[in-house]
Amino acid sequence: MSQFLQQLVNGLSIGSVYALMAVGYSLVYSIMNFSNFAHGGVIMLGAYFGFFSLTSLKLPFAAAFILASAGTALLAVLIERVAYKPLRDRRAPFLYFIISAMGASILLENIVIATIGPTFRTYPEIFAREPISLGVLSIGRLDLIMFFVSAFCLAGLILFIEKTRIGKAIQAAAYNMKACALMGVNTDRVVLIVFALGGFLAGVAGVFFGMKYTVYPQIGNITTKSFIAAVFGGLGSLPGAVIGSVLLGIIETLVAGYLSSQYRDLIAFVILIGVLIFRPTGIMGKSTEDKA
Amino acid sequence: MDWTYIQGILMLAGINLIAVLGLCLLTGFTGLFSFGHAGFMAIGAYIGALMTVPPATMAGNIGGFGLPFAVGIVAGGAAAGLVSWLLGRITLNLKGDYFCIATLGFGEAVRLILNNVKTFGGARGWPGVPQYSTVWAVLVVDIIAVLFLANLVRSRHGRNMIAVREEELAAQIAGIDVFKYKMIALIVSAVYAGVAGVLFGHYMTFIQPKMFSMTKSTELTIIVIFGGLGSISGSVLGALVLTALPELLRAFDIWRLVFYGAAVILIMISRPKGLMGGMELSPAGLRKVAAARRARLAFRAEALREDAAEGLRAEGEASPGGKA
Amino acid sequence: MSANVLEVKGLTKRFGGLAAVNDVSFDVREGGISGLIGPNGAGKTTIFNLVTGVYKVTAGEVSFQGRRIENMEPYKIADLGVTRTFQNIRLFKNLSVFDNVLTACHLSAKYTIPEAILRLPRFRREEKVLADKATFLLEIMGLQDRRDIQANNLPYGLQRRLEIVRALALDPKLLLLDEPAAGMNPDETEQLMRLISEIRERFKLSVLLIEHHMDLVMGICEHIVVLNFGQKLSEGSADTVSSDPKVMEAYLGSSGGNKC
Repeated sequence: MSQFLQQLVNGLSIGSVYALMAVGYSLVYSIMNFSNFAHGGVIMLGAYFGFFSLTSLKLPFAAAFILASAGTALLAVLIERVAYKPLRDRRAPFLYFIISAMGASILLENIVIATIGPTFRTYPEIFAREPISLGVLSIGRLDLIMFFVSAFCLAGLILFIEKTRIGKAIQAAAYNMKACALMGVNTDRVVLIVFALGGFLAGVAGVFFGMKYTVYPQIGNITTKSFIAAVFGGLGSLPGAVIGSVLLGIIETLVAGYLSSQYRDLIAFVILIGVLIFRPTGIMGKSTEDKA
Repeated sequence: MDWTYIQGILMLAGINLIAVLGLCLLTGFTGLFSFGHAGFMAIGAYIGALMTVPPATMAGNIGGFGLPFAVGIVAGGAAAGLVSWLLGRITLNLKGDYFCIATLGFGEAVRLILNNVKTFGGARGWPGVPQYSTVWAVLVVDIIAVLFLANLVRSRHGRNMIAVREEELAAQIAGIDVFKYKMIALIVSAVYAGVAGVLFGHYMTFIQPKMFSMTKSTELTIIVIFGGLGSISGSVLGALVLTALPELLRAFDIWRLVFYGAAVILIMISRPKGLMGGMELSPAGLRKVAAARRARLAFRAEALREDAAEGLRAEGEASPGGKA
Repeated sequence: MSANVLEVKGLTKRFGGLAAVNDVSFDVREGGISGLIGPNGAGKTTIFNLVTGVYKVTAGEVSFQGRRIENMEPYKIADLGVTRTFQNIRLFKNLSVFDNVLTACHLSAKYTIPEAILRLPRFRREEKVLADKATFLLEIMGLQDRRDIQANNLPYGLQRRLEIVRALALDPKLLLLDEPAAGMNPDETEQLMRLISEIRERFKLSVLLIEHHMDLVMGICEHIVVLNFGQKLSEGSADTVSSDPKVMEAYLGSSGGNKC
């Protein structure tokens, strides 16, 4: 039983990282009805920004953390301006966005390979290695911090969206972008803010990922799991992204623990197929119909 | 620059071309984006190898059925087609993003499964695939592939797929069974990828899961984009140029993908019709372009004449007439 | 039973808590030109979407030539003989005028994919039929001389006309026109009125149109249905409806005045 609980805790910890990734992605999806496949590249660069802030700039952890996330927020906005805005203005078909996103993702990954190099980097040890014991459970310090920071960020995001004026504008835009523009909302700015928020979360996720594992240019590929988690929880729903991610993390860890670690990555795909067959709208999803 | 080297490049270009043509139909003509077509290539390669590799004589060798090449090609293509049909049934009646994510997951899943299943060699791969792919074989398959695709596209079925790409809702209203046509495009593209996989395996003489990664999938799509969405000749040229180029520019290899990524974004925001601008390098295609240009010029001339006449009239009447 | 080409009974569509269309019933007589009018947001396009299968109904029935069609797939409904145009034009923008119509002719051919790939005789025969049909339609609608122009390079009025031609290519028995006169000046509207009447005569079909241009509606609609806030407000001939006080109030407020 205690092993089960331990696995649960581990699953929760990786789930919270997935959640940060998935929420950033879902946020953009809910506004633009478009899957930002460049999101992974931004997360990867977050890991690198954090790494270099700590090692080259020798900043204290908190500062490095904020710097990295601010950097990714800016990067996300830059990508939006360069790769998506021109398409939005021309009302280009959905396909063009995906292709442009793919281009951005390839560009980011390979610029890092070409300049910084493909070798794995390890974050310096910030938190002590020995885990904290809570009765029969042991939780790594990093995991604990990750969990709380993630929860904090997500709570902050939800508060922002629910309580502030801009947050309301985001909600409105998510519902109907065109109507929103007619109501005098500066939709360009809403999109900008959404990408910045998503980028910020990506940075946090990237730094944590780098700290927990290692830093390498292909980190972006992990985001496949967060896309699946977002679909699982319901595309476009932020609480859904969190729930889906946490569940995915837990299920993954349990499968790896009780069956075999080889199936760990595969289970995400099995979940995806299951969701698409039985409940495509996901756990929290609502069905939407196209307006003619 | 010896002949074998050039031959090698042509072979790879020719093999790539088949998969690219499949994606040309799926993405270029029907407007569906796949992140995972390397998965179909893998299925083709492994099933094809299963058919043609002679039965295992020694322990430790992976054996097959030792059947002729043609059987391998047909089986590989069919297997890929069958799997694509299953995938399509689950994903094609959902919104576009779901299909993209599913292909992403699919490509990765195929690679993971092959990595972990020891029967086919796991991550180390399957050596000893007979080298049946010759330049002539590839050329013949290429020609058939191009002809089939060209004939399909220039028929009501092809036009329906294009309509799905242009305006899915209007296509529905025009009586087009959108799901059916998306499925056809998917299956054909998967079969093409599968056949390419078979030819690939029988050229390299060994196959490994990591040959069929997401990088491969995206490279194929990049070729379609460079050549131009909706142009078969674009895909042919693109496959040739983009397969040969990296070989010639070995030194700049790391920057190649950086360039591709940037180029893709640029193409999308400025000239999505790519190299060929959506036109075809064929008699009919060129005629079409010429006719369109003539029509546009004639129309513009007519508009100018009308404006001039309008202007004269307005001056004559000296009243604020004219168009609203 | 009188010849109604379309019967709508108790049609209701809810989006979340909002009823965009609420218990609407009306009929379109065979061979008639009916109009669907009402202020913006009254639910007119929603009704079109329900009739053509783009939306699933929350409640109610739609019958076409006596056959229930609600919740059918849009392409099947089109095959049965109901076609439409869109409020914001949805042409196949990158295709030529000719190709737009040629594509829509596809139901007039039956050749299979293998026959197309192998270029068998049936393919060649039927392709010619399709091309001839497309040319014929373009000729009678006055677009033949522009057949090679890319659809999105056409002037606005002709784009609207092209959409109608495309709809006709499916040999419909009922043609739904969604604001066909949008953006047209009085001359063009006059032309359109004549065009719609001609189409009705020549192709022996029925028309249901949504419009805000009152001269068009009053001019050619034999039967008008007025909607407001998703509900039917009034129904009848042009005279009946225009003198109905409920209609006047909905459109003009109680102060009266002229509607553009």
